[in-house]
Amino acid sequence: MNDETKKKINEKYEKELAKGERFWPDTIFKDVVMSLGIFILLILLASFIGIPAEPKADPSDTSYIPRPEWYFLFLFKFLALYGQLPVIGKIEWIATVLIPGVAIGLLTLIPFIEKNPNRYYSKRAMPIAIMTIMVVGIVLLTLMSDVPTVSEDGSALLGTLQTLVGIFIPVIAYALFFVFKNNTRLITWTTGLAALAMILISGTVLALAPEAETEETAVATTLSDQILAGQDLYSVYCTECHGEDGAVAVIQGVEGLESEKITPINSRDVLYTITDSAMAEVIAYGRPNAGMTPFGKTYGGELTRGEIDYIIIFMRYMWDDRFEAPQLKPLFPTLADGEVPSYDVHIQPIVKRYCVSCHRTGKDNNNFLMTSYDEILNTGDNAANNVIAGDENSYLLQVIQQRAILNPDKPDEELIGVMPPSSTLKPNVVDAFTRWIMNGMPQTAEEAAALSTTPAPATTPTP
Amino acid sequence: MWKNLYAWLDERIGLNDLYTNMLDRPEPKTSWWNTLGSASMFLFILQGLTGIFLTVYYTPSPDHAYDSITYIMEGVAFGWLIRGIHHWGATLMVLVVFIHMLRVFMTASFKYPRELTWLIGIGLFLTTLGMGFTGYLLPWNQKSFWATTVGTQIAGTVPFLGEFILKALRGGPDLSALTLQRFFSAHIWMIPAILAAFIGIHLFLIIKHGESHWPRKED
Repeated sequence: MNDETKKKINEKYEKELAKGERFWPDTIFKDVVMSLGIFILLILLASFIGIPAEPKADPSDTSYIPRPEWYFLFLFKFLALYGQLPVIGKIEWIATVLIPGVAIGLLTLIPFIEKNPNRYYSKRAMPIAIMTIMVVGIVLLTLMSDVPTVSEDGSALLGTLQTLVGIFIPVIAYALFFVFKNNTRLITWTTGLAALAMILISGTVLALAPEAETEETAVATTLSDQILAGQDLYSVYCTECHGEDGAVAVIQGVEGLESEKITPINSRDVLYTITDSAMAEVIAYGRPNAGMTPFGKTYGGELTRGEIDYIIIFMRYMWDDRFEAPQLKPLFPTLADGEVPSYDVHIQPIVKRYCVSCHRTGKDNNNFLMTSYDEILNTGDNAANNVIAGDENSYLLQVIQQRAILNPDKPDEELIGVMPPSSTLKPNVVDAFTRWIMNGMPQTAEEAAALSTTPAPATTPTP
Repeated sequence: MWKNLYAWLDERIGLNDLYTNMLDRPEPKTSWWNTLGSASMFLFILQGLTGIFLTVYYTPSPDHAYDSITYIMEGVAFGWLIRGIHHWGATLMVLVVFIHMLRVFMTASFKYPRELTWLIGIGLFLTTLGMGFTGYLLPWNQKSFWATTVGTQIAGTVPFLGEFILKALRGGPDLSALTLQRFFSAHIWMIPAILAAFIGIHLFLIIKHGESHWPRKED
């Protein structure tokens, strides 16, 4: 740029300043309004949307589908689409390093590439067109980041359409820009049509896309939720050997570990001497030589690191006398007279606490599984008799009330022993089960509410 | 009394000069699009303040990071608000800085005499992304752990240097306590220091050259 042009630019700017405003207070005023607006927006976002709770990081959980931060999603999608291209799709670093590097390099050096002094938009069709396609592409790829490239039925249609938006149309548009070079009108038309095509195709992709499965992982954030979550997990994975209260010193009724001597895990010996992290390792790795199998996913078990932490929190607050447990919610809401319990609200938490420990796959339970509504109704060697709507002789109701079922063929042999084998359910739990089965096993709270009868209110004496 | 104090300070730091040089300046007619730069700086300051508060309770170790965040959200008075602002402020800062850059690009404000302002601006944009990238790992939850796993993996695809970059970022072949520690250090010391220095230069250049005027037909 020669001095002549520089002088012209500076003179022009002086003129603009002359008919402009003062930094203080005119410009500052707008800045302050904007910043204040942003501040208020942030407070609203923090108050009303907040931050979704996420489970703790678990390096062993390889099933987790990794996703980058939202502002890198477009790059992630671009990589996925690029990877589908034949031949060059295999050379990863072209997409991860070369293309982003060139883009950022060009962007950085733009003052030295676009050296002409023109600033009005119609004189800068080319750079504006390139940037527009780039930004439209980034926005659309971000929107489509959740859509799979291959549908469940194996069709690659969605992937092809996305590749059109993310790679082919932009490349064609960029090529055309260089063909049309100085023709502003043609560049404008190309940009408009390319952007329109990209938007329409993305719209189609989003319309065709399968409903995204939002996998909701329950995250306990408050202490009492964590204790309850730990208690549920403990009931499923630990009660069998350690007992409901952790007091078991000699294991009974567990195949392969019969009469095995163990240290009661609710004792001070254990709680005072083993730190949380050591305890987490014990649960994760187990004590294979002493008969305790690994429970952590890292070692082939079923529990994530976060779940193991909940169990430890539960143990601390329940048994460690240095911790004071907060007020905990009851296992299920108390039933009013005439109220019918539902699976979702009442039975599920009860079953999880007292039954699932054994009634899940891989345990000795006559194939009666209780991990879902359908399983409770339909599984087991005695499925026909276990749960019968409106029948108080349902096997389930009998055994939880300490009446073992005898084998009809050999009357001196128990078909099903009393349940749970080593403890007795509280009367309110038995009552919930009884009401549930006698009223036809409603699944949802709504179904249960429809069956409920409100007792006639005592007539209030009118004065 | 106030007058005396003002005069005393003016003699020593030159308040009047500061006023005429920094505040009482002419500017071309500005539009709302011109507020995005100062909004970015406002967000930076806000992120700095909320971030400082968060470090009071946050512990950068895999054993305690997650729990310390839970404690900030549940146990600390207004902890949810501070972290909420920091969380959403990060998102908004990336957006605002990006839109600010787009505006400068579209109005060709990067041209003479503001080329250097643009270069520093690109630096600011990249460091802002760096802040987002390093900050995302700190809550040590599933999302952040795996996002960082992928992010560093992508950085590891650089030809020849990839392996080195990956190990330098992670502090070893896998994500570990070292990764968290160095991301924390980068997030609260290194990158903010660079960012603050860049903002200083950026501001100096803006005051020196003034904001560019909205391009007219003859420009």
